[in-house]
Amino acid sequence: MDKTTNKYLISALLIGIIFHGTAIFFTLEVTYDALIHLFFGNHYANNWFEPWSYSWYTGFTVMGYPPLVHQSIGMFSYIGGLKFGLFTVAIIAIILFITGVYRFALVLTSNRNVAGYTAILAVFSSAFIETLHIFGQLPSIIGLSVLFHALPEIYLWLKTGKYKNLLNALSLIAVTVTSHHVTPIFGMVFFIFPLIGMVIMDVSKEKVGTYKDVRFMTFLQSFLSLFKRIVGFGFGSLLLIVVCILPYWINTKNNPITQVPIPHGSRDNFFEVTSSGLVFFIIPWGVLLFLLPYIWYRLFSKRYLFFGLSIALLSILGTGDTTPIPRIILGENAFNILTLDRFTLWAAMMALPIFGEFGYRFVEGDLRQKIQRKYGGVYHRIIGGLLTGVIVFMTFFTMSLGYFRPSQPQKIKMLPILNFLSQDQHDHWRYLPLGFGDQMAWLSAQTNAMTVDGNYHSARRLPELTTRAVERLENSKFRGVEGIGSLQQFLTVPEKYNLKYVFSNDKFYDPILYFCGWQRLRQLENGIMVWEKLNVPPLSSILPKEDVPTFQKLMWGLIPIATVLLAFIINIQLIWIHALKSRSESFPVYFKFRTYYDEFKNPIFKISYLWGIFMLIVTGYGMYLVYVKNVKQLTPISLTEAYYDALDFKEFKRAYSYLDPKSNKTIDQYMLEIAVTDGLLSSYAKMDEINVSITAKTDRTARVKAVTHWITPLERIDKTFYHELVKYGNKWYIKPLDYDLDIPPDQLFSENVTAFFNHGRRRVSSEVTYHEDVLEQPVLEVLSAKIIEYEDQYSIIGELQNIDNIPADVVITGTLYNDSNKKLAGYNAKHQMKHKLMPKEITSFRINFEGIAWIDREDQKPKTFDPDQFTPIEFDERPTRFNIQSAGNVTTVDLYKGVAINELSVKNDFIEGILFNSGLEEVTIPLLLISYYDKDYELIWVDHQYLPEGIRPQRKQYFSYQFLDLSCVNVVNKDMKNVFVNGLLNTGISKSIVPDRRDEHLPFPFLPIKGNGFSYIKLEINTYVGAPN
Amino acid sequence: MKVKRKHIFLVLVTSLFCVISIAFTTSVKETKRISATLLTDQRVFEAGNSIVLNFKFNKPVRASLFAHSSFGSTIIEPDKIGGSQFTIPEFIANKKGVLSYKLVYQSDILFQGKIHIRSNAATKVNLETYIGPPSILAGGWDYTMQVVIPTDSYDNTLPDSTDVLIKHQFLDIEKERVLHSKDMIGWARIFSYTESGRMALSSKVKETVSKETSIEVFPWLPEDFTINSHRKHEYADGNQVTEFTTSVLKDKYDNVVSNGTLVEFVIKDTKGVLLHTQGSTINGQAIAKILHPDHKETWQISAYVHGMAESNTITLDYTPVINDFEVVFNQDNRKIKIGPLISFMGQLIPDGAIVKMDIFKGNKKIDTKVKTSSEGIVRFILQEGFYVSGDYNIHINALGVHKEYKNITLK
Repeated sequence: MDKTTNKYLISALLIGIIFHGTAIFFTLEVTYDALIHLFFGNHYANNWFEPWSYSWYTGFTVMGYPPLVHQSIGMFSYIGGLKFGLFTVAIIAIILFITGVYRFALVLTSNRNVAGYTAILAVFSSAFIETLHIFGQLPSIIGLSVLFHALPEIYLWLKTGKYKNLLNALSLIAVTVTSHHVTPIFGMVFFIFPLIGMVIMDVSKEKVGTYKDVRFMTFLQSFLSLFKRIVGFGFGSLLLIVVCILPYWINTKNNPITQVPIPHGSRDNFFEVTSSGLVFFIIPWGVLLFLLPYIWYRLFSKRYLFFGLSIALLSILGTGDTTPIPRIILGENAFNILTLDRFTLWAAMMALPIFGEFGYRFVEGDLRQKIQRKYGGVYHRIIGGLLTGVIVFMTFFTMSLGYFRPSQPQKIKMLPILNFLSQDQHDHWRYLPLGFGDQMAWLSAQTNAMTVDGNYHSARRLPELTTRAVERLENSKFRGVEGIGSLQQFLTVPEKYNLKYVFSNDKFYDPILYFCGWQRLRQLENGIMVWEKLNVPPLSSILPKEDVPTFQKLMWGLIPIATVLLAFIINIQLIWIHALKSRSESFPVYFKFRTYYDEFKNPIFKISYLWGIFMLIVTGYGMYLVYVKNVKQLTPISLTEAYYDALDFKEFKRAYSYLDPKSNKTIDQYMLEIAVTDGLLSSYAKMDEINVSITAKTDRTARVKAVTHWITPLERIDKTFYHELVKYGNKWYIKPLDYDLDIPPDQLFSENVTAFFNHGRRRVSSEVTYHEDVLEQPVLEVLSAKIIEYEDQYSIIGELQNIDNIPADVVITGTLYNDSNKKLAGYNAKHQMKHKLMPKEITSFRINFEGIAWIDREDQKPKTFDPDQFTPIEFDERPTRFNIQSAGNVTTVDLYKGVAINELSVKNDFIEGILFNSGLEEVTIPLLLISYYDKDYELIWVDHQYLPEGIRPQRKQYFSYQFLDLSCVNVVNKDMKNVFVNGLLNTGISKSIVPDRRDEHLPFPFLPIKGNGFSYIKLEINTYVGAPN
Repeated sequence: MKVKRKHIFLVLVTSLFCVISIAFTTSVKETKRISATLLTDQRVFEAGNSIVLNFKFNKPVRASLFAHSSFGSTIIEPDKIGGSQFTIPEFIANKKGVLSYKLVYQSDILFQGKIHIRSNAATKVNLETYIGPPSILAGGWDYTMQVVIPTDSYDNTLPDSTDVLIKHQFLDIEKERVLHSKDMIGWARIFSYTESGRMALSSKVKETVSKETSIEVFPWLPEDFTINSHRKHEYADGNQVTEFTTSVLKDKYDNVVSNGTLVEFVIKDTKGVLLHTQGSTINGQAIAKILHPDHKETWQISAYVHGMAESNTITLDYTPVINDFEVVFNQDNRKIKIGPLISFMGQLIPDGAIVKMDIFKGNKKIDTKVKTSSEGIVRFILQEGFYVSGDYNIHINALGVHKEYKNITLK
């Protein structure tokens, strides 16, 4: 063998380790997956042989993911902590990748220079950069790299039949299997099969002399002659795939993935969702896009024919839903489960050796000579500069993607949260992080406390989660209906999951927390708001788990590391020889099939040339499109859309630039007007859809109607705005809307308020407080309760009063039974009630019985986003009886009652009025509770309406409410004998605490209405104060 | 032959019987040979004292003592190997109750008996006290329970009929009472008085005193009350705030109701529509606020605590601030200026007065424009692009004044 060191490989390794090794400290922790692997690594570090983890999803098994990479992180963490483990493994992955690509290129091209070029180009391969620095898919990289290392050995075994090579190959395959399960399975198809094809070609060539003369029969004969070796290797690797991660397969069989497909960008139509096209097509292919004809030409040459077929298939599969082909090839099921980005990654990897070959030929080979001969040296340098420029640009672009378009929220300091969880036994309940991104895995890795959420969705078991295409509850706002709907279920019935604490890093979720009955505890030093729910029991000390036999635990704990050790021992000789060149060895046998680059073929040269120009045009056109999209003021419609887009993204300066410059509105005035508006629409809404239509238009003026749809955490808001537009020059402008000029009466005013404080523990003690410092539960009285059937749904409605002398937080749980006392459904009252009651305050409530959405696969999922989406339970039997368990707990917060109904006018089928905020707090979201009564003062329905705008102190807010048609409401049962308060019978409480209740007070606030099916309504107001003083 | 066989059978059975009987008697004799007697006379011990049981064996054996007490069962080995003296371990000897024991040798019981352990009256008394519920209602029928458990220093309850002195203080009342513990505890119901306030409780057994515990006595339900109103002026300017205050809300025992009690105010206007505001009490008084109407209005206001108490009804009249205002049509009637809106003293109305303009074409309402006044003036512009030339009817509403303009021609 050549005894000179391959300087290209050495450079590639050095550059690679320095470039990637330093960059990972800034990128890896904000990637999508790295922290998940870190969490798993932490699990193994603490429980090497225990596959059950309680940390996520009310318990799950880590046998759902091959363990090698995680165990390695765990192992290294013993030396220098978890992050040390992560970075060490990442650096190992980088080394393995560069050397692996080198060896893959060597076996493919049999040219050390070409392989060296390939190694250098691999360092800057945008697919690799993206996988490592943006996706953080360490197991995938390691699996692929080790597979690359196995390829030469497989070649040699097939070609020479030496058992040593077979052993080498299989030992490496075993490592691949234990690090990533998908890689060896698809690797077989896409990398090893073509390699086998190449070996057969080589053998055939030996028989007939040239590749040209290889005919099908020769090929078949060679195949038959190698058949035994192929089968031997095939069975060997199949056995390894099965045995090495046997517990994984057993687990997959026992716990089949019930998760409904979760949308993934790689399955999008890249033309429709251009951002997915960028991330999953443009970036991974990168500079290779310019060389596609050459790559395809080379890979479809006879020797590489099977690689050609493979890359063709891979590239098509990687295009997602852009063409229907991937869906047809993979089938509906696999298409929805697999993330297709890996196919593009593999295709780009497969193209690398050819890219290396091109680089070699361009820099010092025949291509250079050809260009210099044809166009001169300067031209060669210019093209070289251009290509290098594209590589540099793609590298910069890919590396900076995570910086300019962060996929993750800002890095959160975990220490305050960890301290909070470990203080005062807070970890005896489950917690839920909101708006943490993948950093939730890092939080989970550091605490003993458990969460209902998690970050490995294949392992989920709760039907509330598996039936929804939600990645995590934590970022549910990005998943619309399913996300918020799923989150609401957890927030409404937290008792079921022992969920007591929510860490909110995104104020978007605050209103839903409040209206589900949660309260703010405090803000931690790192800005995270802690919300808590009262009346949630702590976790039991023994939690259920699914155990597996000991042999599986042992296999899982021992085999992966054993495969690495074995592979290391078997291959170490090889490594030393390679590294130190200590022994002169003959060239491997594949060097016989070296391609000699003497003449770059003319047609392919021309095609590549044209293709390059074509790609430049495409790029230019793309940029033009981006520019055109940015010109907003060409038509009234595009202007209105742009205006709302600017408002939606809170780019108020841009919004101001669309305003009529002659309107005398200064930017200061405009910003001020924006600053004083608060409320659901301006602070918590995200625009979902806008339909602008022109209602009237002249040359210079236009009036548009903008029907906007906003998503808020609470519900979808549809609001129609009318705008007048004017045109100056060729630009349209929007006329500013009038703002409320109302002046509050008092400049400074004072008010006495009753405020409360609860010490919690008065003594600083870690002991459980059994009776001292424990406050008595406030006594409540349920004044009425009944089952109502309305539009084929059953609900429990009623009225409840806090009859105690202290403010109460109220939780109402309703259960429906049939005639034979069989439980049919149970749920809590969500937002159709006031959760916080002052002494003697009364609230109406309604309990909806929510089922788990789309548990029936046949159900049609709504296409659009609607957080208020409600899935009623389907009852097989008619509920006829009910039980109510209401519980009061002392509360001291969110007791603001300063909003008055200042003006009302009853119209035919609606009511409009003005709310007035008379107090000291700014009400962010007012909620109207509307109770309907029949002529006998019987409560028959409870409805709610959120007002989209907030109310500042001493200000007014207009509202209007459309009456419901209640002619088909049916009272099923109003027997209150099973109503309980704090575990005691309601009737008993009623008799002893309010013995002479004055029932004549009931109709005092009733507004007589001639309605459909009702005679009176009562209005109540609940207020969410976003920033209490 | 038959007889003979029978005989043989009989003989065999008899001899088998004999063999078994002999075997049994032998073994019984063997046990009988080992016997034990208890030398210790004492049958009743005080907790905390050491308990030593001495036995006498007729033959040295390695017996062990199986002891069963309220703590559970255990095997006790003799103090010396092969000895006959057994010391009961402290954790059992410290515990009040019956200790039954069996002296066992090779699964035979040699001796069994019981000893009684009493609480130790000589040690210092410890007290465990519980009060609950921590809050009760005034009126004399609601009560809290004071529970005192006197124990010796080994946490054994003292015998029944131990004297327990309980005390409580409420306002200027201080009362004490002697209870006799029964079934290990001494307890009493402490009924509330008619006043609300805080009650402190304590207890004492022998020389040991308890710590102070306290309960809250909350007032009973509120009684009817009266309301008043305060306003800066009587004009319906839609800008000032009217305040309603209640008299001090008290229960039937004259206690001021607890802070935070919510009082609802219902306001009935001339159209019969009910407006609503609320306030929570501080020192018995609740204050609720509402904005003045912006037109002539008579309000009837009453307040109530739901299901418990209500107030008188008061009537408030609001005088209109304006009887008329000027409307000027300009620029082919396309620019409409309303105002100046002049208030009660001839001053400009404060900014924010609502002016509503309904635009009719024929009898069909085609648009409603609402604006708020600025410096007494509101301007509407009917732009050419949106309102084609023709005749329109225009209705203007402001501060309770309604004006109609028919057949306004826009050009």
